[in-house]
Amino acid sequence: MAQCTRKSALLEELEAAWAIAKKDIKIYYLKAPTLMFAILFPFAMFFAFAVGREMPVATLVPGLVSITVFFSASSIGPSALPLERRIKAYDRLVCAPISPYTVMLGKVLSGAIFGLVIGSIILAACLPVFGLQIISLPGLLLGLILASFCFSMLGIMLAMFPRENPGDVMLLLNFIRLPLIFISGIFIKIEMLPYWGQVASAFSPLTYANDLMRLALEGASAFDPLLSAALLISFSAAFLYIGRRIDLKFRE
Amino acid sequence: MVQMPSAVELSGLTKRYGEIVAVDHISFEVKEGEIFGFLGPNGAGKTTTISMLTGLVTPTEGTAKIFGHDIRKEAKEAKRCVGIVWEESNVYPELSALENLNFAGEIYHVVKRQREAKALELLEKFGLSERKDDKVGGFSKGMKRRIAISMALINSPRLLFLDEPTAGLDVQSNIVIREAVREENRKGTTVFLTTHNIEEANQMCHRIAIINHGKIIAIDRPENLRRTIKSAQSVQVSFEEGAETGEAELGKIPSVRRVIKEGHRFRLFTEDPPAALEGIWDYARSHGIRILEINTLGPTLEDVFINLTGTAQAGAGGRS
Repeated sequence: MAQCTRKSALLEELEAAWAIAKKDIKIYYLKAPTLMFAILFPFAMFFAFAVGREMPVATLVPGLVSITVFFSASSIGPSALPLERRIKAYDRLVCAPISPYTVMLGKVLSGAIFGLVIGSIILAACLPVFGLQIISLPGLLLGLILASFCFSMLGIMLAMFPRENPGDVMLLLNFIRLPLIFISGIFIKIEMLPYWGQVASAFSPLTYANDLMRLALEGASAFDPLLSAALLISFSAAFLYIGRRIDLKFRE
Repeated sequence: MVQMPSAVELSGLTKRYGEIVAVDHISFEVKEGEIFGFLGPNGAGKTTTISMLTGLVTPTEGTAKIFGHDIRKEAKEAKRCVGIVWEESNVYPELSALENLNFAGEIYHVVKRQREAKALELLEKFGLSERKDDKVGGFSKGMKRRIAISMALINSPRLLFLDEPTAGLDVQSNIVIREAVREENRKGTTVFLTTHNIEEANQMCHRIAIINHGKIIAIDRPENLRRTIKSAQSVQVSFEEGAETGEAELGKIPSVRRVIKEGHRFRLFTEDPPAALEGIWDYARSHGIRILEINTLGPTLEDVFINLTGTAQAGAGGRS
């Protein structure tokens, strides 16, 4: 009986997380400007750093997919949450009979789905254009799914600071996101970085997401794919925990 | 007499922000089935108390229980019993009326068939059926508030928190909302009402607590609270046109403490209304003045509020 109660409680939490995700997708993600930003911004970044360099464009595609997932999964949640705080709609979620982790999970889920879909669209467009093939499907799926969740979690973690102005959270987020692009092997291979850069790259989840993308599209990776997957899961769990601590700190 | 169980029970509930004590060891209980008013001037600690009870803010000290569930140790069980209407109508403007209600039902774990039926029933009740598929962003303030109340009722709560439910609304919305709240109460829902509108509290509440500087300074039935300040009792009198009298003359009547002129009437404050009445009749007879109208007035709840908090509140006070 107790087990039955626990199961139904878990199901209730998952249903509530899905309800929050559905609501967020409808309100914030399925908007023309959001979709345009999510697709165009990574392309702009890609061409800004790829054009004029001697690297073959095709070898940069894993990086393009990685930063697409990185930016699309992590951008909208941190913009939307302060707005919900401003109109006190976030209070509605906090006061509902659901776990605070469920609220965060719902927010993360919508960002992750968005990152996954936009990343897949970019990948699907790049494969025929650059004549690429998927060499490792498990690597691709693992990379896309885990990276989407991890990057979405990063954004929601920072959105836990009780700010009502989206710009405040985005400033903090970009302060973290932009340096990560340059130390995670997207445009510059990790082995070409200075020593301190190589050390710093080990602490970037984008490094492992990009490595899984390289495995999927180039058949080569610097790390064991299972290690990359485990580290992406660990980063996600750490972001979730830190996000909750931030939230608790400001409720005291 | 059957003792009603407690819907809300606070014991030494305290909230400190650094050196500032927003709520200072407050203890009281709200009985099941009551409409309980929670009054206080701005910054008295009303919102902080509600925020603690609803889980928005963590108490620094003390305990609070909702239907026996500790708000910290059994937060989910406590929250499950509750519906909340905030001062700002925190609806999702990009969603339709029906979508807002359905979403509220989903996060309160109301099963699909039940929440769909309840959502339609509530929209009908609040006169919004025809607008159910319209985005709430285009609704008036009163309509948004009705949606917010409907969202709070979607889980058929045993306890309804209302924070300034009628503030800034038109008369029609006020009437609809007050009647809906009374109806919910008749069906057994306990109501915890925070309001600045003292007359609203006077009309609706079974009991009222007044908080000031984070402390509960009075808690009783409205009529009992009014009885606590005898000095605010008064006699209101108007004389025939052309009668030569004034505040100074009337102030000489025995037992009258103070006189104020209110339009063409005089209000004579006294601790002994029968003696004052007698004095006024004697005064009128001896001066050959005809009395057109005479009423005794009890202290209003606003008088009580001002007396206890030292704060002059805007808005009309009630009369008895």
